Amino acid sequence: MGFRRYAILGTVALGTSLAAFSASAEDVTISVWSLDRDIQPAPNLINDFNKLNSGIKVEYRQIQFDDVVSEAMRAYSTGQAPDIIAVDNPEHALFSSRGAFLDLTDMIAKSSVVKTENYFPGPLASVTWDGKYYGIPKATNTIALYYNKDMFKAKGLDPNKPPQTWDELVETARKLTDPAANVYGLTFSAKANEEGTFQFLPWAQMAGGSYDAINSDGVVKALDVWKKIIDEKLASPDTLTRSQWDSTGTFNSGNAAMAISGPWELDRMIEEAKFDWGVALLPVPEPGAERSSAMGDFNWAIFANTEHPAEAFKVLEYFVSQDNRMFKDFGQLPARSDITIPPTGVPLKDTALKVFVEQLKYAKPRGPHPAWPKISKAIQDAIQAALTGQMTSKEALDQAAEKIKAVQG
Amino acid sequence: MKRILSSVTDGKGFDIGLVALPLAFLFVMSGLPLVYNVVMSFQEVDMFSLGSFARPFVGFRNYVDLFSQPETRPILFNTALFVAASIAGQFAIGFGLALFFWTNFPGASWLRGLFLVSWVMPGLVVGAIWNWILSGDFGVLNFLLRETGVIDGNIFWRSDPNYSLWAVIIANIWLGTSFNMILLSVGLSGIPKDLYEAAELDGANALQRFWTITLPMMRSTIGAIIALGLIFTLQQFDLFAAITSGGPNNTSNVTQYWAWDLSFRQYDFAKGATISVIMIVFVMFASVVYVRSTRHEVRG
Repeated sequence: MGFRRYAILGTVALGTSLAAFSASAEDVTISVWSLDRDIQPAPNLINDFNKLNSGIKVEYRQIQFDDVVSEAMRAYSTGQAPDIIAVDNPEHALFSSRGAFLDLTDMIAKSSVVKTENYFPGPLASVTWDGKYYGIPKATNTIALYYNKDMFKAKGLDPNKPPQTWDELVETARKLTDPAANVYGLTFSAKANEEGTFQFLPWAQMAGGSYDAINSDGVVKALDVWKKIIDEKLASPDTLTRSQWDSTGTFNSGNAAMAISGPWELDRMIEEAKFDWGVALLPVPEPGAERSSAMGDFNWAIFANTEHPAEAFKVLEYFVSQDNRMFKDFGQLPARSDITIPPTGVPLKDTALKVFVEQLKYAKPRGPHPAWPKISKAIQDAIQAALTGQMTSKEALDQAAEKIKAVQG
Repeated sequence: MKRILSSVTDGKGFDIGLVALPLAFLFVMSGLPLVYNVVMSFQEVDMFSLGSFARPFVGFRNYVDLFSQPETRPILFNTALFVAASIAGQFAIGFGLALFFWTNFPGASWLRGLFLVSWVMPGLVVGAIWNWILSGDFGVLNFLLRETGVIDGNIFWRSDPNYSLWAVIIANIWLGTSFNMILLSVGLSGIPKDLYEAAELDGANALQRFWTITLPMMRSTIGAIIALGLIFTLQQFDLFAAITSGGPNNTSNVTQYWAWDLSFRQYDFAKGATISVIMIVFVMFASVVYVRSTRHEVRG
């Protein structure tokens, strides 16, 4: 009797566990790594996706900003990479050039959701390597010129005519600088990290230069303008050690009349700035010159050694299909030109966002180059050597060009 | 079997176990990473070969490449200056404070404990605070110097290449002084009082007592503190990250920050390892000094 009871129990247990096994075998598990916190897109989109019960189960892991690349490298080289990862756009080429990311070109061509023509050219270029697409832009941002309209009025300047060219920018900064009142004309960041490159590269590009022509005449002129701004104390010498966030803080507190920074400042500025302000496109070298701007934020990519490329791409397609929620729900700008940013009801913010979206059309990626961090370091050192007067702009950029050439091999 | 067991519980086996356990621990936790680091400095490493150990050996190429970079020499010099100035400052102020509290006025030991606050604060917090103090436009230090008439215009401590390294040194002296003070206080309290009484009877004045009793009696403590100081300052990383990021143009960059920057910002792990190996040589030297100075402990 006892034995039979156990036998029945055993069969039942076996049966249920088999059933459970077959149920879970239907679900493909896709792992996703990104740095998004609970109020940011990735975990929320994944929750929504899992509720669809599409037969794909997505697992999420949050990683810290500083660890993204090293964690990903370690995981990839030991065969434990996730299926999907979000990487900072200048680091995308590092992975795609080595075949660590999956070539999505064919999948994108067949997809009815992901259409390359919907994206701004800058973000799209950052996922491109050798003419193929190795990822999908996740979100984007750029930099433009914030200016204090009240200070413009106080100094007899037209608050609806922000500076358009570099000369006008320097001239306006001179008029706005007021040491007695602790006001600098301009604030920006020339810090010895990626932020310095992020801020300077648009100037180099507007002048016809680029990272592989960093010592061309236009770039030298651009750095000379920066040097003039620092030398004449139109911007604080601490520009060399302050982050963009801290620099713009001085704008918000009324200690700088103009600031170069990105849309991530908007919410804090609306809260802190007790004056009327506006945003303008980055000034250009001379009227009619080519525009350019920096391009920030992350891209999605699928690791090449994933076991479920098709399912992983389906997850990405879902993310892309939710791009229109990007701004409304999470305050991030989708990297797409076909999505209009819905009005927020805050007039200052809405006008500013229009300028940023316009500026995004001209945003260019950093690189793409697999050794971008080294190129970036060479540029940062050159900027700082020139701004502190240790070298002339020409000498500093020549040295940077030499270092970059060595990196390119 | 029983003999082996009894030897393990009480005998030679027990002694061997006592030695082997910490040795094994040291080997696994310190020895292996150290060896790995040295090996890596002779290899070509990139992010994709990070997981494997079989990487192409390149001989001394990493070292040659490193020393052909224009920033290497200034950074090595900065490191030497940072270490020397930090230790000198920490030691001088720490010794001064230790002697001050040694006079044992009411509340001395209580105040001495309070000084440890700077030592227990995390480096990044200290860095953030000093970042504000040293800020050029609104920094407290500039305000004080201006009000006391020492300077006319603001000094941009973090951004002026002539001051940037000193900005970090000042912060580091503040951070390390209390540790020096505590260790030196311990050393001072170990000196027998009767030595001073005898010297006083012989007519030695305060300065003579300091030179002929305090300093010689403190020799091993001082050696240990300076060796520890060298190790701690060579490990100081947070302050650089928080105050200058090594800028402007590497004028405040030091080897420990540079090694991190090369490995984890520029993903050049081989060069990062190469710098670490160079630093290990210096730290080894300091460790030998430390071990020797604590071995010759003089007991009055």
